[in-house]
Amino acid sequence: MPKDHTSLISDLEEKLKECSSSHDIANIKSQYLGKSGIITNKFGSLKDAALDERKELGRSLNILKTQIQNLIAAKLIEIQDVKNDNKVDITLPGKNISTGSKHPVSITINGITSILAKYGFTSVSGVEVEDEFHNFEALNIPETHPARDMHDTFYVSDDKLLRTHTSSVQIRSMLSNKAPLKIMTPGKVYRCDSDPTHSPMFHQIEGLYIDKNVNFCHLKGVLISFITEFFGKDMEIRFRPSYFPFTEPSAELDIKFKGKWLEVLGCGMVHPNVLSNVKIDTKKYSGFAFGLGIERLAMLKYDIVDLRMFYENDISFLSQFKGLK
Amino acid sequence: MKISLNWLKEYIPNIKKNDIFIEELTSLGLEVSSEVKVKKDTVIDIDMTPNRADCLSIIGIARDLSAIYKNKIAYPKAIKFLKLKHSNILAIDKKISSSYSALIIKNIDNSLKTPFFIKNRLDMCGLKTINFVVDVLNYVMLENGQPMHAFDHDKFNGNIKVRFAKNNEKMTALDGQNYTLMKDIPVIADDKKPQAIAGVIGSEESSVTDKTKNIIIESAYFTPNLIRRSSKHFRLQTDASYRFERGVDPLINKYAIGRVLAILTEHTSIEDFSFNHLSAPKVAKHINRSILVKPNLFESSLGIKISDKFILQTLSYLGFNPKKSKKGFSVTIPSHRFDIGIAQDLVEEVARVYGYNNFKPILATNSLNNIKDSTNQFDGYSDLLVARGYNEIISFSFIPKGDQSNHVPKTKIASLVNPISEDKAELRGSMINSILNTCAYNFSRKNNNLRIFESGKTYIKHRDKSIIEENILAGAISGINSESNLKNEQVKLSFFDIKGDLLSILPDVSFEVNADIKYIGKACQAVIKQNNKIIGYCGEPEKSLYSQYSIKNQIFYFELMIDKITPISSLKYKKISIFPKIRRDLTILIDDEVIASDIIDAVQRKSFNYMITSKISDIFYNKSNLDIGNKSMTIEFVFQDKSSTLRDEQVNDEMEKIVLLLKNKFKAIVRS
Repeated sequence: MPKDHTSLISDLEEKLKECSSSHDIANIKSQYLGKSGIITNKFGSLKDAALDERKELGRSLNILKTQIQNLIAAKLIEIQDVKNDNKVDITLPGKNISTGSKHPVSITINGITSILAKYGFTSVSGVEVEDEFHNFEALNIPETHPARDMHDTFYVSDDKLLRTHTSSVQIRSMLSNKAPLKIMTPGKVYRCDSDPTHSPMFHQIEGLYIDKNVNFCHLKGVLISFITEFFGKDMEIRFRPSYFPFTEPSAELDIKFKGKWLEVLGCGMVHPNVLSNVKIDTKKYSGFAFGLGIERLAMLKYDIVDLRMFYENDISFLSQFKGLK
Repeated sequence: MKISLNWLKEYIPNIKKNDIFIEELTSLGLEVSSEVKVKKDTVIDIDMTPNRADCLSIIGIARDLSAIYKNKIAYPKAIKFLKLKHSNILAIDKKISSSYSALIIKNIDNSLKTPFFIKNRLDMCGLKTINFVVDVLNYVMLENGQPMHAFDHDKFNGNIKVRFAKNNEKMTALDGQNYTLMKDIPVIADDKKPQAIAGVIGSEESSVTDKTKNIIIESAYFTPNLIRRSSKHFRLQTDASYRFERGVDPLINKYAIGRVLAILTEHTSIEDFSFNHLSAPKVAKHINRSILVKPNLFESSLGIKISDKFILQTLSYLGFNPKKSKKGFSVTIPSHRFDIGIAQDLVEEVARVYGYNNFKPILATNSLNNIKDSTNQFDGYSDLLVARGYNEIISFSFIPKGDQSNHVPKTKIASLVNPISEDKAELRGSMINSILNTCAYNFSRKNNNLRIFESGKTYIKHRDKSIIEENILAGAISGINSESNLKNEQVKLSFFDIKGDLLSILPDVSFEVNADIKYIGKACQAVIKQNNKIIGYCGEPEKSLYSQYSIKNQIFYFELMIDKITPISSLKYKKISIFPKIRRDLTILIDDEVIASDIIDAVQRKSFNYMITSKISDIFYNKSNLDIGNKSMTIEFVFQDKSSTLRDEQVNDEMEKIVLLLKNKFKAIVRS
């Protein structure tokens, strides 16, 4: 675009800014596009141009004219809208707003499974009404272990119980799929316990990785990355020895939270007896497992202090989680 | 377990005075859950895992620490009984106790004040002071882990017998309670009756007071399972039973009793005592057991190379006897370690002394892809419901006893054998109770506008006693469309809101009348079908449920059997016609009994030329200009041709045929 055209446009823009009525705009319009307006005159002087330049000049003049027309038209609409009271009060309430939300437990499970999926874990589910073999025996939990007590386990009949952990799903997966295996098992679990920090039903997710040459460093790798990603920042993490019948060595992972060490998950290398129980060759394969309570993690992440909130299902509580997946 | 730090330090030579080894304890697996300063000392509380019975004493904890500090622990002095001065007759059932020591002390002054340091330490460790001898026994128990019991010899009739109780034998214990014994409860008895429930609690009758002159001190190893059984049976846990059921070192009872005598003689003169000890040839299975650890096991399990020197040293400090050979490490298990059974257990021993935090993390993100994801069946539907304003809820799988008796047959209800309370006694056989319970809870809190759903399981008992779990997605709505709306835009939610929501998430389902579901009322009840298969139900809950949950607000409910839904998977694109659509409305008067789907189905089945859609677009009931029993219905038809622009006459011809059909079939009267 020729230089004088550019300055013409910016001149016009300046002038339009000053306009406050359609009358002002009409004046400007005639200044430019009227019978003796600037543009009309320019078209008039086209015939003075050299024959070979005339075509090019005409084209750029047409572009200029269109631009000017558009600018004037836009300003006119702007002024009319305000004047005609068509302006919308966009601060009025939106219509049919839905405050739908996922349950914080589901949100937490989704958060965890999407991280673990990146590490190669596949989500697997199983039955909640279990038998002693899958819930206890196969997991190397002896008859005398505290977890076997009537006190902790809900029984549905003499030989059927509500699973006390999702490890039973791991046993079923190992029995049907054998090694190698890389699974996670989210779900409901049940313990005969009820107080402000224990619920008779809660949610767990466990992870299991069985393959050749899996060792303790791999376990630490997955869990440290997982905790960091889940909380979205570097956390102070420590591993300390612990005891579970189904892992050896066993460990617990603590995170520093508000200056205090908090236990967040249990883990360890899968006990050779467990692998033998599901007919996996311990000479060829080894693996690690970990398990954590969903509610506990959700409480830490969302600063929830009372476990009972999760199952009261008060809409005022639930709808606070809108927007989270 | 509460212990004094200063006391603990005494057994680790060369430890610096200011050393605080709380971090070290935790990293060894002896997690310190609290620390409290008491004068110049600190009391720490250790959360002991059930496998570490060997650490239920100061010496045990010191032994673990010694592996880190590389200092052999200094065992406290005890009197050694070389010659047995007196042979008191013991009759011991070896199944109960395979190693049993008894010391009889005559003419002791038990009114002596307990030495201050003992009193102080018992206090810090949370034990009450009772009297001189009993306090010394407790002190030695804290120190060495061997629980002991003192009987008043003068009230003990004759010889010591360790036997199983007879049914209905009775004993009043130290806690003042009367216990009725039975034949699998091990007891310590005199010639007449039980004087103690072995390893748990002594009798009141033979208990030692500050006036007692002659005392029998028992120090024994009891078979852990038997003590656990007694403790469970009587719901009674004592410092003794807690240790015995986890496993007390079977070889220290003699030493412990000598240690008691050493302390007693430091504070009073004891001239007349006699000692006896009985033991089975094989005291416990784990003693002198040897485990072979293959040379590469440490590295293959832990991921890093740990030097032979570190392994041998660590295991020695912990009390093992390890030997390196070509085959690997041959490790003999000490009597205090009940928990070591396989090579992998020794890997943990080395690892925890090495420090779990000293292993480098390696992230393996390989995917095996050999298993199908079986958990996400709800995911898509949940997301869609949330987008339509539903809040997801999670309810307990158990519901109050009797709550479902109206709609689940008694034989199909799965009940808990040991419910935590009556209101959590049965597993839910359908979702309706959970959903209505949540509605009622929210109504009581003035949350009147609800859109909720839950994805969970129902549990139904079958004839063979097996329990069938079914995945259900259920929900309910109540109140108005949206609280955010201006007053004149607020509309009460109806059945058609829930129907609309369901059709939005499952576009290929149909709603049919005549569902037969007990908990949904007859007036507003629909069965939801996909490909002619029932996949769910919806409607308004049955009246009695409103009163059962004291609900006054109107509710609409739905449930979908998730596993029966076929996701739309194979879809073929249909060519879009570029020619204009023609819309025609037809308003008819029709009998009230005729339902919308009758008309639409009839029209659809005929497949009129060019007709691409037909739907009900308006309806009026009982307006003044209509006969009672009739309704006015407007049907909207859309016509389009694939290959040319339709002419009006073509559409008129089809409309005439439609009118004729409706007249013949439903006696419809066309309104102008």
